[in-house]
Amino acid sequence: MATPTSAMSRPQAERVMEQKLRKVQEIFADGPEIGRLALEKGTAAFKQELAAAMGQTGATQQTTAGRIGARQGSVSELTIIVPLVAGGAKRTRALLELLEGNFQGADAVGTVHDMRFVFLDNDTKLLFATAYDGEWDAYIDDFATKIPNTMDIVFCNAVGWPGIRSPAIKDWIVKHQIPAAAWYVANPNLTVSKARRLERVGTAVEELLDKIG
Amino acid sequence: MSSVKETVGGDLSKDAPPMLELDEIQAVILRQRPAPYFGTHVLLRVDDARAGREFLRRISPHVDSAAGWWKPADAWLSVGISHAGLEAIGLPKESLQSFPETFRVGMAARARELRDDGVNAPKNWEKPFGTAEVHIGVSAFSDSADKWRRAMSIARAAYEGFSGVKVLRTQDFGAQPGDRNSLGYKDGIDQPAVEGSGFALPPAWGRPIKAGEFILGYPGEAGVPLPMPQPDVLGRNGTFVGFRKYQSRVGAFNRFLHANGGTEAERELVAAKLVGRWRSGAPLTLAPEVDDPKLGADPQRNNAFDYSKDSRGRQAPLGCHIRRMNPRDTPLNHLTDVNIHRVIRRGSTYGPPYDPNDLSEKADEVSRGAIFLFISAKAMATMEFLQQEWIDEGDFIGANGEKDPIIGRQEEGATFTIPKDPVRRRIRGIETFNVLRGGEYFFMPSMSALKWLGNLGG
Repeated sequence: MATPTSAMSRPQAERVMEQKLRKVQEIFADGPEIGRLALEKGTAAFKQELAAAMGQTGATQQTTAGRIGARQGSVSELTIIVPLVAGGAKRTRALLELLEGNFQGADAVGTVHDMRFVFLDNDTKLLFATAYDGEWDAYIDDFATKIPNTMDIVFCNAVGWPGIRSPAIKDWIVKHQIPAAAWYVANPNLTVSKARRLERVGTAVEELLDKIG
Repeated sequence: MSSVKETVGGDLSKDAPPMLELDEIQAVILRQRPAPYFGTHVLLRVDDARAGREFLRRISPHVDSAAGWWKPADAWLSVGISHAGLEAIGLPKESLQSFPETFRVGMAARARELRDDGVNAPKNWEKPFGTAEVHIGVSAFSDSADKWRRAMSIARAAYEGFSGVKVLRTQDFGAQPGDRNSLGYKDGIDQPAVEGSGFALPPAWGRPIKAGEFILGYPGEAGVPLPMPQPDVLGRNGTFVGFRKYQSRVGAFNRFLHANGGTEAERELVAAKLVGRWRSGAPLTLAPEVDDPKLGADPQRNNAFDYSKDSRGRQAPLGCHIRRMNPRDTPLNHLTDVNIHRVIRRGSTYGPPYDPNDLSEKADEVSRGAIFLFISAKAMATMEFLQQEWIDEGDFIGANGEKDPIIGRQEEGATFTIPKDPVRRRIRGIETFNVLRGGEYFFMPSMSALKWLGNLGG
């Protein structure tokens, strides 16, 4: 990965920014008209934002979640697209409907910020995306011994799903995972457990202030 | 040396003969560290493949198996080989590539995953650690100085005066007076119980864990054997070892205790809160307010506890060292199967004894500390998990933003929280007390595998 501009001296960073902007203008030159015009009008605002960002210390940068996937601070992303077996979408939809968006299992996992199940291409494919805390490798073996049935029920309709207990599971996930080219997280240091704790602390503080005030 | 039964308790398994092929498995994997203990770690480089194999042929007959590991024993030798070492002795490429990638690249290349950064970064390690030269590790353990010296002369006969195999480093180690480590603690108490080993440890040691988590070729906790290097004769009954050498910053540790405890009693309580045990070994869970040295010294009682009455960490702080290394029944924030993240630990203290009265900066620079063999059939993955989740972070157990107080690499301004009523005590300015000086991943072959390796190439 190239040195991020946050790691450079200011004059150096400004030069690099100018170069990158020029390159973007070149590439946009033979793109859609609407984009080219917007870039012309928007360049000044862009430059202002970038200049402001350069002035900030501790700007987070995109790192890796480990074997695959992007990470910002404590929060990593996983995006997979898999073909579904015949009737797979129907079964998976039925299961999701049963759960009614209530994923207590994910609550118990404790590192999952969000998950989305999106059916693509006329219900022939599943896009599964999640933001989670920590490294890619860390808890997959734990799913296999603690919640194997849940995992297999949810993902069995993916073509070639080897079963969460299979030694081939990690390679299978990697085969279908597409690392995000860009990953933004509003509160990169706010893990699921920290957020829950802050919620409790915040509530307690408000109650205390109510009593005192 | 006493038998395991006399010290820790437990009994020969009531089941049929042990499930494990004990005479194939290297003794150090199952045999406990004795008290007192003496020994040496030797690191070797193979400069000539034929010489390397000849060395293995010489030493293999003296490597002890785990047969009858629960009985008293003289001294025992163990042998581990790094990936660079396997390559150096001429292991065929196909076989080399059947090892996990994490093992193949060596510990220094996994620094990001191990969170070995800052002062612990490989570029700061003592040579030869972090180079591709650490090929073979030979360790000798014994309960007496005499037996240790005899074992070492046997080992030396295999590698001394033998061109083609070069000694890179030797490090003698031994129990300090009273079996204490270099920060003054009795250590090495808690170990996982391995199922099918032929001897059942007392129930307080926890449910025996499936042997395949610690020894290759047997089912693990998920019901299937873990991936094993090939061919079968090479992988079966072997295991992996993470070798890590730490230097203890005794002055910094003592300064920290003095800064946070006005009397000796207060300092000892702080010391206990950091680890989860008093320095005598008595667990805070069984002796929450006052030390109980008799309890600490009693292997039948000093590990017989769980955290069912202390889920908030008022006795043993949630972020204390032993609770991080084995959360037992602590409710965790992350769905975790504790049993798949255990390692067998053979710790060895080296250098001069701990001095509670030395607060100098010089005391930080003395070559004194601990060398660990972390043993598991998936040692690389386990160590990287432990470093990422249980040591370098505290999210999993409610110690957000804090690291392990004993082996964590602390940032400037780091804190350690002691849960307390009515308000927690948060200590600022905790430093890195144990600095990583180097390490490597080794493969510890079975007896048959050692013979097979020694006879490679016909």
